[in-house]
Amino acid sequence: MTKKRQLIFSLVRGLLAIFIALVVAMFLIFISSEGDNAAEKLAATGEALKQLLVGPLFRLNAAGISFEGKRLADILAAMIPTTFTGLAVCIMFAANQFNLGAEGGAMLGAFSAAVIAIYYPLPKGVHPIVAVLFGGLVTAIVMLIPALLKVKLDVSEMVCSLMLNYIIMYIIKYLMNNYYADKSKGQIQTYPFLNSSKIAMLSSDSVISAAKLTWGFVIAIIAVVICWLFMYRSRFGYQIRMIGINQDFAKYSGMKVGFIIVLSQLIGGFLSGAGGAIEMLGRYPTFSWSALPGYGWTGITIAILAGNNPLFVPFAAFFMAYLQKGCDMMATYANVPTQLIDIVQGVIFLFFAAERFLAKYRQSLVVKTAQEEIAQKAAQNKEGGQANG
Amino acid sequence: MAEEYVVQMKNINKVYSNGVAANQGVDFNLKRGEIHALMGENGAGKSTLMKMLFGMEQPTSGEIIINGESTVLSSPSVAISKGIGMVHQHFMLVPSLSVAENMVLGMAPRKGIFIDKAKAIEITKENAEKYNLHVEPEMRVADIPVGMKQKVEILKALVRGAKILILDEPTAVLTAQETEELFKELKGLKEEGYTIVFISHKLNEIKEITDRLTIMRNGRSMGVYETKDVSKEDISRLMVGRDVVLNVQKDKAKPTDTVLKVRNLEYVNEWNKKMLNGISFDVRKGEILGIAGVEGNGQKELIDMLFSLDTPDSGTAEVNGKSIISIGQKKVRDAGVSLVPEDRMLYGIAGTASIEENVISDRAGSKELNSGPLFNMKAIHELSDKLIKEYTVLCKSSAQQVGMLSGGNIQKVVVAREFSNDPVLILADQPTRGIDVGATEFIRKKLVELSRSGIAVLLVSADLAEVMELSDSLIVMHDGKIAAYFEDTTTLTDEEMGEYMLGLKEQTPEEIRRVCHD
Repeated sequence: MTKKRQLIFSLVRGLLAIFIALVVAMFLIFISSEGDNAAEKLAATGEALKQLLVGPLFRLNAAGISFEGKRLADILAAMIPTTFTGLAVCIMFAANQFNLGAEGGAMLGAFSAAVIAIYYPLPKGVHPIVAVLFGGLVTAIVMLIPALLKVKLDVSEMVCSLMLNYIIMYIIKYLMNNYYADKSKGQIQTYPFLNSSKIAMLSSDSVISAAKLTWGFVIAIIAVVICWLFMYRSRFGYQIRMIGINQDFAKYSGMKVGFIIVLSQLIGGFLSGAGGAIEMLGRYPTFSWSALPGYGWTGITIAILAGNNPLFVPFAAFFMAYLQKGCDMMATYANVPTQLIDIVQGVIFLFFAAERFLAKYRQSLVVKTAQEEIAQKAAQNKEGGQANG
Repeated sequence: MAEEYVVQMKNINKVYSNGVAANQGVDFNLKRGEIHALMGENGAGKSTLMKMLFGMEQPTSGEIIINGESTVLSSPSVAISKGIGMVHQHFMLVPSLSVAENMVLGMAPRKGIFIDKAKAIEITKENAEKYNLHVEPEMRVADIPVGMKQKVEILKALVRGAKILILDEPTAVLTAQETEELFKELKGLKEEGYTIVFISHKLNEIKEITDRLTIMRNGRSMGVYETKDVSKEDISRLMVGRDVVLNVQKDKAKPTDTVLKVRNLEYVNEWNKKMLNGISFDVRKGEILGIAGVEGNGQKELIDMLFSLDTPDSGTAEVNGKSIISIGQKKVRDAGVSLVPEDRMLYGIAGTASIEENVISDRAGSKELNSGPLFNMKAIHELSDKLIKEYTVLCKSSAQQVGMLSGGNIQKVVVAREFSNDPVLILADQPTRGIDVGATEFIRKKLVELSRSGIAVLLVSADLAEVMELSDSLIVMHDGKIAAYFEDTTTLTDEEMGEYMLGLKEQTPEEIRRVCHD
């Protein structure tokens, strides 16, 4: 298939998946919306749809439509942790390792960074960097568990990492309850982070700081570029991708398959941990998470939307953040339950993950390309024949 | 007259979607109550023909008549309903379930929503007795010996009402005793009126058990014979002849130092079958040593050992004096060994990656292709463009997916990589199997060219023409042993080769030892 056709196919497929998800969502909203008759329900659904699609960026009221900078900043800020987890999942999935540990990884990274931020005073510029790196490293090391078990004992990394998320969560809860909690507070939370450890806002503008849009956003974009270079322009990323495509081929070519598989999960661990850490230090005054944050799950959706290509991660992360914001808007202004986003996410996820979705359409494009090639060749031969004749 | 035959396959043609014509105008028929051998080398089209009879593949054209009725076998379940059963070479059993549970799979007796295990065991016992095939109904399939697994498979087919049984190389995995037992049981079934198709290339077995035989070669039927009327020599000649004589120009080899030195390799596989039995040979600089033989006689295992894909039980293999036994593919490659793998789709390429990504897979870490932590993309583009040009890979650009190319061009990508890495030894395992004439000729020429430039080449091929034309000297493998060594291939006849390949003849140890140039 030509590149252009491939692109068209990906676009059509993506948009159709989103469209179907929206139709399903609308159907559910229609059922659950308030109203005495179908007409009223329909009106409520229409209102909800408007909020979902336009609400994330624009204020809708009787006076008309107006752009809301704060909402855009909110969306960009929400992208920070999910861009990191998205990248983490990309790199692990590219090696055909279905490690789902980015979820617990984000929490562990946040917690580890919090410990540094509270107890180890460091100079202003250095403190957050050390804390984030520490958060990433701790997570990377913990991610060795599923990676090594997979390589050495052929334990399913999927099951192992999935369980690991809960182990991480409960260990952190245990540590919080028994050692790190500020007992003077009503809820379980740590002592406040030292001021030197906070990640600075992008600007002192009130909208930016209200949205908590920190330098973490810039770091996330830099991480995207580095990850892309790593995956598509370095020998390690290359090996990760080749192993993901055909592990037997990689082994036969002389690649150290076990090492690369472990490496991919180390990097995945580091990225998810660092993402959690940046989110923690940028957004919160103390560590008070008592459940998994959800960034890792979103990261999986993002990686799948991005086709495991780091370059597409920010776009997918933007899309997911936009969708989240839209659902918040629906909840606020159109009385739609916020849980609906999970359903919309689920449906999109389903259609993207379904390999055979639109397979017939794809096949028709392949056939068309092949036929054109054959025709072209025949034409060339004819020309050649005439020239010879 | 038509009633004499339970199965008639008329003028069957089969072209696979990749363009391979696996069957060309094949006629095949079965009489009621006979054991019929289907013979031929690997790739001759036996399996394709039988897959069509079992409904796993559809013929491109031709007619299948079962019990006098023209039939379309659209799936195995249709075939089963017509009384056809197939026992595959690789068993289709669920290892974690018991024999009885496997037996009733898909037609299980129920007790409420549960499977009635007692009933399943009873059914199994009943049938085992009826057909005189002894199995242990309560044991897990994973725990029973291979011979019993096969009986389970045969019983499974019989329980489903099969009157015609297709056995795909049933003795390949069996010990001599198990084989004997199987033959007794098959004869019993035959007496009860069952028809059996027996796929094999073991001549002794064929002579012992079958009534008639059909021989296939290169997708065509070479005729149907009464087993008692043809000698083993006749069969071998019909099976392994050369259809096309190729002419690759090559001057006489001037072999020098020994590069690969293999001594006394022994290997017993997981089914306790001795696949390599005291293999010793040398390959020298500047020569092509061919390994001929019917597939499954240890060639695959030998290549696996030489490329560290498996570990022999004993024996040594050295390249330029350095052991290459179980050192991993990286070190084998560092020692200068290249492999053109038999299964190019599995080992040779990453299908959805680009041509460029495929040609650098063995040298992605090399200095030439890297600058600092990143790839030197310019060098990589140059390398891939150069290789595409040199090996005339037909493609739009080096960014094209390898999996989208034709078989011949995929193989060119594989050999481009394997031949261009300054090897001292090339292991070429079925380098031209299933690819078009142009690519075949190109690869053969390249092999000769490389050997004459001072590279040692070990060529394994089931294609007799190829191995005889290309090799300077030749060994024949049979049953895990070297059956013959020919220092000069030019005077060899196909008949002679066939006899060694099928184990009718064997050279003396002294003659064979000449392949070690100590």
